[in-house]
Amino acid sequence: MFHTDRRLWIAVALTLLLAVAVGCAAPAGAPPAPEQEEAPAAAAEEAMPAAEEAEEVTLTVWSWRTEDEDAYNEIFDVYEAANPHVTVEFVAFVATDYNNILATGLTGEGGPDVAQLRAYGGLQPLVEAGQLVPLDGKVQTLDNFTPDILKGAMGVSDGRIYGVPFGIQALGAYYNKGIFDELGLSAPTTWDEFMDVLETLQEAGYIPLAVPAKDTWMLPIVHDAVGAPRYGGPEFEQKVLAGETDFTDPDYVASIQLIQELQPYMPENVVGVSYQDARTLFLTERAAIFIGGSFEVGFWRNEGPELELDAFQVPPPPNSVIDHSLTPGWMDGSYGVNANSDAIEEAIKLVEWMGTPEFGQLFTEKIKQMSAVPGTEPTDPLLAKFAQFYAETPTPYLLLVDFRYGDPSGTTLLGNGIQKMLLGEMTPAEVAASLQEGISQWFKPGGQ
Amino acid sequence: MTRPSPSGPGRVGLTSVAVYGLLCGYALVVLGPLLLVVSNALRPTREIFKNPVGLPTSPSLDSFVKAWQEASFNVYFFNSLMITVASVFLATAVASLAGYMLGRYRFPGSHLLSAYFLAGLMLPFRLAIVPLFLLLNDMGLIDNRMGLILVYAATGIPFSIFILSTFFRQLPRELSEAARIDGAGELTIFARVMLPLVRPALATVVVFQFVPLWNDFFFPLVLLRSTGKWTLPVGMTRFFGEFQADWSTLFAGLIITTLPLILLFLLATRQIIAGLTAGINK
Amino acid sequence: MAAVPGDRTPSRRTAPPPSKRARGVGSGAPPWPLIALFLLPAFLLYTVFMIWPLFQSLYFSFFEFKGLARGDFVGLRNFQELLTRYPVNEQLPRAFLHNVYFFVGTMAIQNTMGLLFARLLHGSRRGKRFFQTVYILPYLISALVVGYLWSLMLNPLFGPVNQVLKAIGLEELALPWLGDPRTALPAIILVNAWQWMGFPMLLFSAGLANITDDLREAAQIDGATHWKLFRHIELPLLLPVIGIVTVLTFIGNFNAFGIVWAMGGVNGEPAGATDVLGLVFYRTAFRGGIDAFGLASALAVLMFVFIFGVSMFMLGRFRRWEENLT
Repeated sequence: MFHTDRRLWIAVALTLLLAVAVGCAAPAGAPPAPEQEEAPAAAAEEAMPAAEEAEEVTLTVWSWRTEDEDAYNEIFDVYEAANPHVTVEFVAFVATDYNNILATGLTGEGGPDVAQLRAYGGLQPLVEAGQLVPLDGKVQTLDNFTPDILKGAMGVSDGRIYGVPFGIQALGAYYNKGIFDELGLSAPTTWDEFMDVLETLQEAGYIPLAVPAKDTWMLPIVHDAVGAPRYGGPEFEQKVLAGETDFTDPDYVASIQLIQELQPYMPENVVGVSYQDARTLFLTERAAIFIGGSFEVGFWRNEGPELELDAFQVPPPPNSVIDHSLTPGWMDGSYGVNANSDAIEEAIKLVEWMGTPEFGQLFTEKIKQMSAVPGTEPTDPLLAKFAQFYAETPTPYLLLVDFRYGDPSGTTLLGNGIQKMLLGEMTPAEVAASLQEGISQWFKPGGQ
Repeated sequence: MTRPSPSGPGRVGLTSVAVYGLLCGYALVVLGPLLLVVSNALRPTREIFKNPVGLPTSPSLDSFVKAWQEASFNVYFFNSLMITVASVFLATAVASLAGYMLGRYRFPGSHLLSAYFLAGLMLPFRLAIVPLFLLLNDMGLIDNRMGLILVYAATGIPFSIFILSTFFRQLPRELSEAARIDGAGELTIFARVMLPLVRPALATVVVFQFVPLWNDFFFPLVLLRSTGKWTLPVGMTRFFGEFQADWSTLFAGLIITTLPLILLFLLATRQIIAGLTAGINK
Repeated sequence: MAAVPGDRTPSRRTAPPPSKRARGVGSGAPPWPLIALFLLPAFLLYTVFMIWPLFQSLYFSFFEFKGLARGDFVGLRNFQELLTRYPVNEQLPRAFLHNVYFFVGTMAIQNTMGLLFARLLHGSRRGKRFFQTVYILPYLISALVVGYLWSLMLNPLFGPVNQVLKAIGLEELALPWLGDPRTALPAIILVNAWQWMGFPMLLFSAGLANITDDLREAAQIDGATHWKLFRHIELPLLLPVIGIVTVLTFIGNFNAFGIVWAMGGVNGEPAGATDVLGLVFYRTAFRGGIDAFGLASALAVLMFVFIFGVSMFMLGRFRRWEENLT
């Protein structure tokens, strides 16, 4: 102990001196410098030049999916087998702090070569800071994707593509087939049938809809899954982006009101029910329907493998602008290349592979989410159902796809508004007005 | 119903029963929820999702094994211990020197310095993560445990100086004057006379610096890159998924990481009591 | 009280009345090199690794940001933006008010309990370390887990708290604690107190340990009751510690983040009823748009100015009370 302390003291004294010297020399608040000359010994082994094809290279991939670590390692084993000179090291970080970790990681030493990137608005800070390599023109497999999907990986200011999309999410309603069979119910195809189903479930003592209203991020999801046909889905998107209408449109207000009308079928004190509570209600078969995203499939399969589950699209409500069901969806994120990487060429080859059907199929099979690569088929029947819904009647999850480019974001505003509505503090019209007021501070129609 | 206290009549006995009743009652309030941690660590996560509050149907130590292995606790434990002990030691050492000077003497600028040393507590330090990252990057201290130790030690300084200077200020002045008459220098007075007298405060300062550093995962995540240098709480973040957490393993990991803290605390309370008797006998 | 500042007492053995004891600050400051020797290590370490990065971020509040890339100097525009952008402009005053409640509630509950338990344990011989250790246990666990734990305890669907309340016939008290805007903040204040009570308790214990027993014995010989002993001897001597605890509670509460985030989420659910400045800061900095960095820095500047001002004022007040007593 004594020796450790003394060594420590000497080291501390030296470092302090160094600190003062360097601290004074460094320019105040200098923006991240792209060039790094004094690489410490620890990083030297990773800093090997990767220009020559055959040279051994280790690519570090960063992600916010700690739960997928094993799956990704298996997926990258396939790439390593085909490219023996490459070692892929997958590192996952806690999702809530990932943005911070990535922003600093792309700035300095020891960052990733390839990074999982947020979609749409969440991508822009990294693009604006020039921390990513534009991939269009360099990655051939980008041509596989539709423009709608690529939009989620595009820099707004320059229109370039910064990532290879990995996943798609879609919204819909899960239901417990066991309970439905027991009560002689089947998946509703009209709004009236939907109401009958909810009534029957309630009378039988089940919570019809497991909706969490304590976690506001789930509320715009529920709203869009239920209300998209009512306000007009893609048609409304075009009009609102062009400035021909805004969120105070009576059809949009009516779509918010639907949530209020469904409140009697939600758990008691719904604002006290958290996301996890709602999932538990559904898992334990106290609730029969869970409205949510396709990202839940893995959770249901892992935690409730004995449950008999199926999914349906919420039928179009009365007076809907679009007379059939819609399945809102979005591009979930992409993998991009660090502009600071020492192995940009190899990193580009890796993300190029991530745009191939081979990767897409591995992704959907091992991670139990929909791949963004066209032509991949989910093997899980539940997931396949979501994929089918989205393929047949897609609509953008409007507030996420188009209204997260500024602060405050559309999803935040609507989530907070609907929560207040469920507490009786706001009317649907006031919720819509608050959404419009919030986004109009940064959103200018006709632009983009 | 109880033995009368030797120091007084029956009334005192009654109050001390009430006092013990209160103490035990609150101890239950503290321990109750903590038992939930233990209980859930003994149940698989699947069971926790289905029945969040419940007793283990078939208690198992699987989660402890998983936490130990998957979070590489054997590696991270050493890192955590080294980094936390060094940081707390460094911060407490420099803070007791500075706290002594600021607590005992007034000199031009002493008030200003006290305020300066306190100011660091009033800002969300996470705000500074980017400049801090760039600073360490320039110094070659990213992915370096020493870099993290220096940052951690710096964050402990405001709190420690604030508390220690107050306690130094309270010590009777004749003690140092007596020593000075005996020919002792300032450093000797500090080390041999004054420092032992603030032992209770020192122990408190150590505990309250130690715990947040021991539990922190944010700074290691940003400042350390090699997984071999990570600390216990960083290992624990592996069990926080995007949409779900592996609660059973988390709870087990929590119990493993908290045990050393309890040991530390038992040592610290001994210091607090020892400080008390020192006060009487000096 | 009629004490002369700098009055000398001959020896602690003779146990003078507390009001006349000379404490603290010496007049004859040591020579500068000695002062520097004591102060410099802490000063350097603290300045380089804490103040310098913090100062830089505060300085950034005057610049436009795009992600982490710094743009032009924009003067006070970030501040203006922060105070006018909807809905932050409405969230800030509400969050501020919640921080005030948080502070008042914590002082009244957590710190009073801390003092009470410190005093009770100071007198007791048996079980002292046991109780101290038990009471500090919640502090040893990270706020994230404490928040999760109590969210379970208070859960309206599965929580044992409501089950117990129903079992003992207090049906109407079985509320959705964290789901009702009226009860959510008080519930979080209580949970926070549950976690942190050990902190004031330990500081008060250390303070009580600093009071020599001769003082108490002298007072007891004079026939003082327990209460009088506490009120007239111990409490005045604890004033410096009360000052520390108050100021640290103030600073801590106005920076509160972890426990509120764990129990009320990033938006301070339900419906912003538990929103505090720490959450507004977090949302601005890490969930905001492209200009988040400048705005968050501006918010940090405002919070700093307020917290620093009030803390200095409090410290001054306590220092004066203390001096009046000696």
